[in-house]
Amino acid sequence: MLRKKRIRDIKQNLSQFITIFLMIFIGVMAYSGIEAYMQGMKDTADRFYGENNLQDLNVLGTNFSMDDLNQIKKIEHVKNAERKLSVTGTTSEDKTLLINFIEENDISRFYVVEGEKFDASKSGVYLDEFYARENNIKLGDTIKVKYDSLELEEKVLALINVPDHLYDTRDESELYPNRTEFGFAYLSASEISESFIKNLVMKNLGIEDEKLFDQMSPDFHYQDYIPYNTIMVDVEEEESKEQVKQSIEEKIEHALAVMDIKNTSSYVTYQGEIDEGKTYVGVFSGLFLFIAMLSVITTMTRVIQKEQVQIGTLKALGFSNFKVLTHYIGYGFWIALVASLLGLIAGYFLIGNVFIGLEMAFFEIPNGAPSMHSSSYLVAILVVLIVSFITYLTGKKILRENPAETLRTKIPSVKKNSLNFTNQSFFQKFSFSTKWNLRDMIRNKMRTFMGLAGVVGCCMLIVCALGMLDSMNYFVDLQFKQLYHFNYKLNLKEDITDKELQTLKEKYGNKTSKTYGIEIKNGEKKEANNIFITDAKDYVQFVDNKGKIIELDSKEGVYVTYKLASTKGYKLGDELIWHIYGEEKYYTSTIVGFNKDPQNQNMTMTKEYFESLGKEYQPDALYTNVNLENQKNIEGTSTVQDIHSLEEGMEGMLSMMKTMLVLIISIAVILGSIIIYNLGILSYSEKQYQFATLKVLGFDDKRIQKLFIKQNNWIAILSIIIGLPLGYYLTDWLFKTAIEEHYDFGASITIVTYLIASVGTFLVSILVSKFLSRKVKSIDMVSSLKGNE
Amino acid sequence: MNMKQVSHLERERKMENSFIELKNVKKTYLVGEQKMNALDGVDLSMNQGEFVVILGPSGAGKSTLLNLLGGMDSSTSGTIRVGEDVISTYNDARLTNYRAQKVGFIFQFYNIMPTLTVEENVNLIKDVTRTNKDAKEVLKSVGLLKHASKFPSELSGGEQQRVSIARAIMKNPSVLLCDEPTGALDSKTGCEVLKLLKEQCDFDTTVIVVTHNSLIAEVADRVIRIKNGKVESNELNEHPKQIDEVKW
Repeated sequence: MLRKKRIRDIKQNLSQFITIFLMIFIGVMAYSGIEAYMQGMKDTADRFYGENNLQDLNVLGTNFSMDDLNQIKKIEHVKNAERKLSVTGTTSEDKTLLINFIEENDISRFYVVEGEKFDASKSGVYLDEFYARENNIKLGDTIKVKYDSLELEEKVLALINVPDHLYDTRDESELYPNRTEFGFAYLSASEISESFIKNLVMKNLGIEDEKLFDQMSPDFHYQDYIPYNTIMVDVEEEESKEQVKQSIEEKIEHALAVMDIKNTSSYVTYQGEIDEGKTYVGVFSGLFLFIAMLSVITTMTRVIQKEQVQIGTLKALGFSNFKVLTHYIGYGFWIALVASLLGLIAGYFLIGNVFIGLEMAFFEIPNGAPSMHSSSYLVAILVVLIVSFITYLTGKKILRENPAETLRTKIPSVKKNSLNFTNQSFFQKFSFSTKWNLRDMIRNKMRTFMGLAGVVGCCMLIVCALGMLDSMNYFVDLQFKQLYHFNYKLNLKEDITDKELQTLKEKYGNKTSKTYGIEIKNGEKKEANNIFITDAKDYVQFVDNKGKIIELDSKEGVYVTYKLASTKGYKLGDELIWHIYGEEKYYTSTIVGFNKDPQNQNMTMTKEYFESLGKEYQPDALYTNVNLENQKNIEGTSTVQDIHSLEEGMEGMLSMMKTMLVLIISIAVILGSIIIYNLGILSYSEKQYQFATLKVLGFDDKRIQKLFIKQNNWIAILSIIIGLPLGYYLTDWLFKTAIEEHYDFGASITIVTYLIASVGTFLVSILVSKFLSRKVKSIDMVSSLKGNE
Repeated sequence: MNMKQVSHLERERKMENSFIELKNVKKTYLVGEQKMNALDGVDLSMNQGEFVVILGPSGAGKSTLLNLLGGMDSSTSGTIRVGEDVISTYNDARLTNYRAQKVGFIFQFYNIMPTLTVEENVNLIKDVTRTNKDAKEVLKSVGLLKHASKFPSELSGGEQQRVSIARAIMKNPSVLLCDEPTGALDSKTGCEVLKLLKEQCDFDTTVIVVTHNSLIAEVADRVIRIKNGKVESNELNEHPKQIDEVKW
């Protein structure tokens, strides 16, 4: 019988139970969805890295011989090693391809999307799936690619994903990958022609006559002279990585640097996305759940409190406290259970799938799928327990009284002390409706607080979601409009001759730079970083922390980015000890200033200072504003980057972000509306008898509606006032803590965002209030007043 | 012509000039699929300045009658006139205005605004109608001046009911409708409240009290008994007692 009562009670209070259901559902859905997305990201990568055997270390150098390879293989804890020659080539369509020549494919194995497995004896190219798709290249098509004098015309054998190429950019100046312009390709080392290697060797030896060379080296075996520049190393276990690294550094003469794969940009960027996501999980989903739960708890408490007389009646009829309690706990338990379960499922399929789908369009990784994280189950269970516990506590409080007391209707009391201040001279001048609403809010502190918290939370989320986009746009602007003042960046060949450089300078100007990979000593540890040597005044500019352009012209020391300085604790005047990768000599440089760089946390020095260290300045990049639109294959350059294509590359990332933000804002708006509606219903039902009295006294419906809307408007306005700055701080905090280490973004939110958030929040609030206030018209004075009695 | 016929004619004559007049008023509610007649052809009249007591058992239709007179509810059929106002023909807006200008209500459970002070509760009336009365004066007249700045929860039940009387008389109502005004009060406090109510008749206000308590009938100018939705009797009390004379 009690079960029937429960079902009918729920039917009677359907709108409140529906809002409770929706709030739990959305809260759990948001939490588990984002959690499933993040866990999915991690699991997808772990699976891919594991199954396709991502290398642990990359040994970088020049001309790795078979001896080098075998020596590495023999090092303790090394499971396997493979050589690779990676060079940057240009296609006949003037696109850039990172060409990798390999001998075997057991480390960093291809995931073949379409086509055949790697076969060293086969002629053809294994092509980047994303690049192929963007350029409409199909299996069996032929592509032409050129590196130096090596010209290849290869049939596409397979479209592949490779575990160390999840996220490839042409160079550091590109913030985001541009798959149309840049991709990777793998070929068997046997595709390298003998003549190309012979020419290379002859050039190195300074021999121009091929016949002479043939006479000098009758046993020339060109495969032995392929200038492999990378050895991928697979280590037995994670812990022995450092030891293996040291052994390679000591034993392998050709090794210039040994890089942990976890420091490579593809790995770091993907991992950064997961780490960033973890903060989103904590912030967005946690906030969603928190706001929803606050509202659920308030509503559930009120729903049970409304049942006071019925609880008294059941007790008077002889029902045991236990029976009454379990009956009422059931209200919360079943609703929470069903809502949580559906929330889990919807979270996985809706949010998890959509977000992973967006990421997988961005990272080149196969079989991306969300994974349900154990914490989601835990949260769902917790939600059910909390809701049940709240109903238990409320019921228990009512049951503590004797039945006679319980059956007595309690007339709401007003504690004079708390309202005293509203009775002072200043408040005396307020209108009836102002005083009435003010006191009603003070009297119902919990309800008011919940309303505020809910609306503040939603306003914050809107500011944050839009603010993140604003901030990204601001930094794109900073990068491309303030820091970069060139149209093209020419990446110079490593072996560019002085003559070629001179010609380039004459044609395109002399604004150049050089970037070195370095290691900075930090106690016993050595930390990888890079140093930017500038001779590109006015073309590559720098800003201080406030975005003001500054000159980096010291000839006495280095400049460090603010973020690097703050993370490492560097101060002005500190001395940094560093060495260039592949060189043993250490330099000591004094920090002479700081600069802000949105995308790279490194050191910068002038060409003059660099030369004062006794080093020869050999640029690797030249910046120009000469129009190079139809220029192909400029002598002495490996690639030419158009600044506009760099900017375009970012559009992809921003559009993905937009989709995510639209989802977050939608959830915030839906949740906000439900919370405002829910608290509106609560506040309406609690005031119904007062409204009925006012109606009896001759107040017309419109005035009563205004009275009701006024309070909700106050809450909305107050929430906006609190929510806007909090939204700013949340965004700033997210950027400063969650974003990858090499970025230095802060919140930069436009007035339009604040306007949208304010108007949006207020509009939602006013629409819901208006909708609810329509109920005033249908107040039946007689039954409302009777009901109260 | 016997006495009964004389009294009937006298009543007919008075009805023509009476201040409140109900003719064949019916109020039907639908309970599930069944029709329930809360009022079943009620004919009544009352004069201005009368202290009227309506008696009857539970469910007789007393409160329904009061609600119709107060414009809180509409009749299913029949005519209701209060002074110049034929309220049975009024729409919602006119009924609201009628309540605002002409009617004062006193409820068993006071129905005063818990978040407004005593004085503010009384002054609330100024938001719906023009009145030249001063809230402080009105509070003085009901003996609550010293409690003017208190909140309702700081007052006793009798005091709260006096607040609701003060609120009602603030607008100088033509009719003061009281639904069990002493129902929640002890006899001494009840007496004080009744005195206050009766005093309003001196200002030409027709005071109508709905009650179970038949003792109140002894102080009334007119006693109407209702049963099963019909008027059982409508009698003038030739010698109403003073409130202090009644043994409560």
